[in-house]
Amino acid sequence: MAEIQSNGGGGGGGKKRAKKQSTRVDMTPLVDLAFLLLTFFVLTSTFSQPKVLRMIFPEKLDEKDLKNMKQPEVKDGITILLTGGDKVYWYRGALNDKAVLEETDYTKNGLRKILVESNLTLLTQLRDFEKQLNKIDEKDTAKRNAIDAKVKQAQRDSKLVVLLKNDDKASYRNVIDVMDEFMICQIAKYFAVDEGMAPLEKKLIDLKTKS
Amino acid sequence: MPKVSMPRSTPSLDMTPMVDLAFLLVTFFMLTSSFRAPEPVFVDPPSSTTEAQIPKQVFLVTVDADGRVFIEITNPAVKELVLKDMMRDFKVQMSAEEVKKFAGAGPIGLKMESISSYLELEVNARAKVQQAGVPYDTLNIKKSQLYHWAYNARLRAHDDFKDREAEATKRGLPFDKDNYIQFAVKADGNTKYNVLKNVIQVFREAKVKNFQMITGLEAKPKD
Repeated sequence: MAEIQSNGGGGGGGKKRAKKQSTRVDMTPLVDLAFLLLTFFVLTSTFSQPKVLRMIFPEKLDEKDLKNMKQPEVKDGITILLTGGDKVYWYRGALNDKAVLEETDYTKNGLRKILVESNLTLLTQLRDFEKQLNKIDEKDTAKRNAIDAKVKQAQRDSKLVVLLKNDDKASYRNVIDVMDEFMICQIAKYFAVDEGMAPLEKKLIDLKTKS
Repeated sequence: MPKVSMPRSTPSLDMTPMVDLAFLLVTFFMLTSSFRAPEPVFVDPPSSTTEAQIPKQVFLVTVDADGRVFIEITNPAVKELVLKDMMRDFKVQMSAEEVKKFAGAGPIGLKMESISSYLELEVNARAKVQQAGVPYDTLNIKKSQLYHWAYNARLRAHDDFKDREAEATKRGLPFDKDNYIQFAVKADGNTKYNVLKNVIQVFREAKVKNFQMITGLEAKPKD
């Protein structure tokens, strides 16, 4: 109890008076209850709503269309290969016997460094546009839209194409991690290849792991 | 010199401000918290740096590390309609009461035929059921149950959107165009990507192309 009742200061003979009763209510049980409820809600509530990464997949093609379609030829681009054990390999340019496969990882100095270096032209352009945007008054929508259009044009003109391929062993986490790197490095054109790796690419990985 | 006498007082503490504070916090947490939805399996999604919020209404596809597929529709009315479509497509009989129960049963990973017996169980007993996942098939996609779920849900979601839009215009109320049922995928980070690709292929066959991949939050790197 937070309150100790004491009946001091009364009487002393003479006239009989009605005993003065304390009008205080003991709040302690109420506090107990309130904190119990508080603890319950704190522990059960979920604060952080999960975030989402938007992915758009192309509509399914007919067999006929698939046959007529050519594999995209990548001359000025990067192909990223994902495989089991959280391993990432990549090579630049077209796939042929001369392609040089290199191993990298998901750290800041791995994949991100490669992507940022390759995407430097677009990144500097985007940074310039951002500086211009900061100078403009927020209410000036016409100028803002003009810069937005320029940003879109720059993204469209970007020459860097990044392909993402995986094999049977690659996990979903690997794919999301790489997609996330694309977002961070602001890659304008990237594709996840539906068919997965080509036989030659698998062979290159095998050679790489053996050596 | 008179004796200094200490006033006799009770060593009481006024609890009222503390109660005020405690109840204020209780009210805050009660109003802001949303309870964690019951999950039939534990799924640990990978994290990303995106800041986009999860849509208000989703058709949630949960894929666990073994590749089992669970589905859930957050809008109960639409969920009931989709179940009725499924009963028609697969000639499964269920009572009106069971359809109602299904809407509140959370994510389900069972074939149509066994949903009814699952719903008969007590809520606590349901958690112990090992669900095999909604069956799907990559060779004969259009016959698989997952395809039908996706297809019916897409149509019903579209109808629901149109209905609400019509209702809003009729009453002259503002209409939130972003509030429609979107397809969200919550998969375990250790799921093989090819398994997920197969699941998504089923949805693509049902003309669902746009996915929200649910991820945990990760700090954005500084340049």
